[in-house]
Amino acid sequence: MAELKIDNVYKSFGEEHILKGISLDVTDGEFIILVGPSGCGKSTLLNCIAGLEDVTTGDILLGDTNVTYEAPKDRDIAMVFQSYALYPNMNVRKNIAFGLEIRKMPKAEIAEEVARVAKLLQIEPLLDRKPSQLSGGQRQRVAMGRALARRPKIYLFDEPLSNLDAKLRVEMRTEMKKLHQRLGTTIVYVTHDQIEAMTLADRIAVMKGGIVQQFGTPQEVYDDPANMFVAGFMGSPSMNFLRCEVTKQEKDYAVQIESQGTIFQLPVDPKQADLSSYVGKTVVLGIRPEQITHVMPHLVAEQYITQVPVKIEVTEPTGADTLILARINDQECECRVHPQEAGKVGESMELLFNMSKAVFFDEQTEARL
Amino acid sequence: MAKSKNPSYANINARAVLYAVLIIVAAYYLLPLILMIVTSFRSMDEIRMGQLIEWPKTFSFDAWSMAWSEVQIGAREERGLRPYFINSILMVIPSVAISTILGALNGYVLSFWKFRGSELFFAALLIGCFLPFQAILLPQSQLLGWLGLSGSLVGLILTHVVYGVSFTTLFFRNYYVNLPHELVKAAKLDGAGFWVIFFRIILPLSAPILVVTVIWQFTQIWNDFLFGVVFSDPSSQPVTVGLNNMVNSSTGEKQYNVDMAGAIIAALPTIVVYVVAGKYFVRGLTAGSVKG
Repeated sequence: MAELKIDNVYKSFGEEHILKGISLDVTDGEFIILVGPSGCGKSTLLNCIAGLEDVTTGDILLGDTNVTYEAPKDRDIAMVFQSYALYPNMNVRKNIAFGLEIRKMPKAEIAEEVARVAKLLQIEPLLDRKPSQLSGGQRQRVAMGRALARRPKIYLFDEPLSNLDAKLRVEMRTEMKKLHQRLGTTIVYVTHDQIEAMTLADRIAVMKGGIVQQFGTPQEVYDDPANMFVAGFMGSPSMNFLRCEVTKQEKDYAVQIESQGTIFQLPVDPKQADLSSYVGKTVVLGIRPEQITHVMPHLVAEQYITQVPVKIEVTEPTGADTLILARINDQECECRVHPQEAGKVGESMELLFNMSKAVFFDEQTEARL
Repeated sequence: MAKSKNPSYANINARAVLYAVLIIVAAYYLLPLILMIVTSFRSMDEIRMGQLIEWPKTFSFDAWSMAWSEVQIGAREERGLRPYFINSILMVIPSVAISTILGALNGYVLSFWKFRGSELFFAALLIGCFLPFQAILLPQSQLLGWLGLSGSLVGLILTHVVYGVSFTTLFFRNYYVNLPHELVKAAKLDGAGFWVIFFRIILPLSAPILVVTVIWQFTQIWNDFLFGVVFSDPSSQPVTVGLNNMVNSSTGEKQYNVDMAGAIIAALPTIVVYVVAGKYFVRGLTAGSVKG
């Protein structure tokens, strides 16, 4: 186990710049998730950490050693691949033992280590099978077993769950989290699934266009996004972005919205943003669907809550909640209400806009205000 | 014909037509071989008296032993096709082995250890597949002369290896690019180096393409006549050249039965290779290595 420090890493393929100055500090035992849309460079960054790709400039430090120019085998890193990459010609036991054999571990110790890992992952009955005789979930476990066997300094996971079906994925997710809590290993994990990122990570690095947009705990990234991209990427259904005008109230500021022909002023919590220089201009209001709910009497009187009637355009029941698509400022806005409170399509419905967690972005730069 | 109402009868009719066509085609291709075999067991007297195409009245192996070890070919002391056959074996085994190993290594490097210009290198190598035999006769004989290998088996082997590497590389490279690259990445992280990955991961997965390459190279080299006739001297001539010399000797009577037996002898090894190795042709060893 060790710390991982990525210092200003650039990676280019000819004129194509994949990574543009990535810096991350990962502390010992941390579970880090790199998340972003495809082509954001997250897998390239993982390959650079593993040594499977050379960096163009910048440094990668593992513990106190600079491993930037070391071969993958000298870095003491284990990786789990999306396709699992189990050696098809070897049985499960051989697959797990391969790395240990290469490192010239004595036979007895290898057997012991394979047994330990097999017990840990509950794959003992599978040890003599070939990968082709395993189900997707079993292959996944074997791939993890192979990584665990060497007890390397850090573990890299490249979308390890994305080939599993939905139910198994959720199960394996929980299992992976348990495993991390038990072993306390340093993990860097790549995924494009923001739910996986939220549930597993100690800290999330949201990437786009070869740049880390934000690096923080799941809650920070969710509540306090650095820009519109992060805000929109994290959370499902995603955050509503409403273009609206800033107005000056008696002492504070508000944003102005229109619903069914009526104008409403939504008060802005000064803790969330200082909009003094934007009065009369348009900003983007970011408000998550769960901040727009049906009317709950005990909340109506709160300072940053405003009651607004909206017209229901679409309803999407999810079971626990019903999502309502409303039209605000002539833009679509998703709201999350209790199923029993939800109105019918075409009807008007009273909703509470809770502005205490609302965030604001510059219309042009998409940066957080 | 009225369409049968019962779908299973329609099926049987279709099958019957299919089999009839297949049997006709198979017979068409097999007839020359059958004729050769039949003729090789007839005696010359019988052939002279009757027709060329006829069922044997007597059955004898005389023509076979004649072709193998008795017939006088050219002016050499040893008789029959046997010395030529031995030459062919001595030539084909190292040629096939070396060109296949080189092809596997080339394909491995070109798929998993790409270097600057490796694509260009591969393209250049591919040109070798389009070079006609005739085009390299003069430069190759010059080269063999310089190397002091003219007319030797080693020179012949070298020629076949060099000419074959383009094809074997193409085969292996195209097979390896379809293997999951993550296998090699995983092996690198497991600490394996160039040779360990090749011998422990890649080669065990290569059985299907290995068989294809060996069959291809074996047939090509065994059946080659042009290189054999140009780059050899009487002591190193392969069986194709021996057969030609035997059949084309202008003195005396044409011994059809011996010619036929000789031709079968010369073709036998390629047939054996197909029969023995053919079943390994389609073998999905990598099935299950990726995804679920």
